[in-house]
Amino acid sequence: MAPARRLNSLLKGRLCTNHSCIRRYSDFVRAATDSSNKSQIYISRSLDPYLNLSIEHYLLQKTPADSTVLFLYTNRPSIVIGRNQNPWLEVNLGLLRNDPLGVELVRRRSGGGTVFHDEGNVNYSVICPTLAFNRDKHAEMVVRALRGLGVDRALVNERHDIVLGNVPAPGDARPLKISGSAYKLTRLRSLHHGTCLLSSPNIRKIGAFLKSPAKPFIKARGVDSVSSPITNVNVPNTAFEQAVVSEFRDLYTGGELILVTEEAKDVPEIRKGFDELTSLDWIYSQTPQFTFSTHATEEDPRERPQLPGDLTDFQFRASFTVRNGSISKASFGFGGTSPVKDVDGVDGGLINKKLQEIESWRGVLSNLALPGMRSTLGSAGTFMDTLFGNGDRISTDVAKDFSRLERGAQSD
Amino acid sequence: MASIARSLRPVALRLAQSSKARVAASSASPIAIRAFSVSSAVQVKKFTKDHEWIELSPDNKTGTIGISQYAAHALGDVVYVELPSTPLEVAKGDTIGAVESVKSASDINSPITCTITSVNELLEETPSAINKGPEDDGAGGGWIAKVEVGENGVKDLEELMDAAQYKAFTEEA
Repeated sequence: MAPARRLNSLLKGRLCTNHSCIRRYSDFVRAATDSSNKSQIYISRSLDPYLNLSIEHYLLQKTPADSTVLFLYTNRPSIVIGRNQNPWLEVNLGLLRNDPLGVELVRRRSGGGTVFHDEGNVNYSVICPTLAFNRDKHAEMVVRALRGLGVDRALVNERHDIVLGNVPAPGDARPLKISGSAYKLTRLRSLHHGTCLLSSPNIRKIGAFLKSPAKPFIKARGVDSVSSPITNVNVPNTAFEQAVVSEFRDLYTGGELILVTEEAKDVPEIRKGFDELTSLDWIYSQTPQFTFSTHATEEDPRERPQLPGDLTDFQFRASFTVRNGSISKASFGFGGTSPVKDVDGVDGGLINKKLQEIESWRGVLSNLALPGMRSTLGSAGTFMDTLFGNGDRISTDVAKDFSRLERGAQSD
Repeated sequence: MASIARSLRPVALRLAQSSKARVAASSASPIAIRAFSVSSAVQVKKFTKDHEWIELSPDNKTGTIGISQYAAHALGDVVYVELPSTPLEVAKGDTIGAVESVKSASDINSPITCTITSVNELLEETPSAINKGPEDDGAGGGWIAKVEVGENGVKDLEELMDAAQYKAFTEEA
């Protein structure tokens, strides 16, 4: 990713000349855990979303109980889902996997909905004692920083998001959102983090990434995203970082700025958090229980989109339930010509299989031994691969068609 | 249940700490207390500063954990409850689950050392049961987990607040 490298080297040049550059992770650990260090400020030079979230989690767990910490970081292109969300429901995984941007899929530890990050988005994070936690206080701090940079219309709305007030989006009554927030609250320490869209070059693509073709077929427990129209505020990253640091220092008197590098990964606790965040079990299996069904059911009576040609003709029916990431029950069949087949432990090897480990639904369905339906099973497999983001480019082109008309939208 | 930040004030915290000291002092002669009222002294529902509650059975062997009415109100609409897989041995203060409300993930911590033997599966499907009856330990209630308790767990109980102390803790400004 050439743009990422460019930005990285820019940051390196700027920050190392202006601020203290901490090279050894032990210095970072010492600063973070120093009980007299009541006001701490860090900027990460890594663009790795998993590492940045793990550094943030380390700061949540290890900084002194009565300290307040500001952490700023920028990620390479990634889609970040909330702790209790469903990636198959929130994300067009086929588009994600085939896009040349190489977008990462990340599940964070805080609540809330799905957001898109890239190099034109700076994330701010404030960690404070739980006794002092307040959802608006630090969003207001960022609003002051933005106003200082000439973004006069920035304000905090009732969802604790930052929006540009007074100017509705074209064809939409809602103000344009520039920053969404989420929170993680523990016994003594609480974390508020938020995005801030400054100059994302991908802003028009975001909506397509966040529109899953499987959504009309999935009924899920857990947390839904609330989609909002978004915009860039057209402020350079470094100006935003400096303004937020300055507002933070006004609130909490002082605080030395420390730069954090990739070497933070050598801190054992950060490494452990990183390994957890990058594990497929965390990203996928942490998903709350959900049921997929091609047809309306008692549980999920929504009318479904029409299935592709021959699948409608032969009344293809598929349903399965995923619990703790694994398929717990499933049935497949063709309504008109053969009974719907319940799939047990042997048939198709589907039960107890982790959904993310299914590489090809074409392969799964061809193992099901539904008689006389070979070619239709092929189309059914392609259809399912499209919905779940498996398979080759041909099926992801279909996925693209599902969302090509979506305009930029971001949820939180 | 750390998340009730909005209403937790430092003075309240200090009060809780001093009441904790009182509880510890009053239980200095546990034998005498037991001689008086065999079971009622231990069946009382106890609360943590983090707003969990625990209530033990008369024989002190099993119990139920939940979050307080006060906490449920402060959290706002609960949209998801993460429950542990069982059985799970935990020490006092260990995280046993999490609640999501208003874009916040809040930890639920065990009030005492115990073994989680079952969880309230109703909450997976109907998280709002936590808002409706967080201290209801019956079917349809918003309790979190059933537990087995050993000697250490019973000892941990002594440091918790009873209903009156907890009420004072949440009301004091």
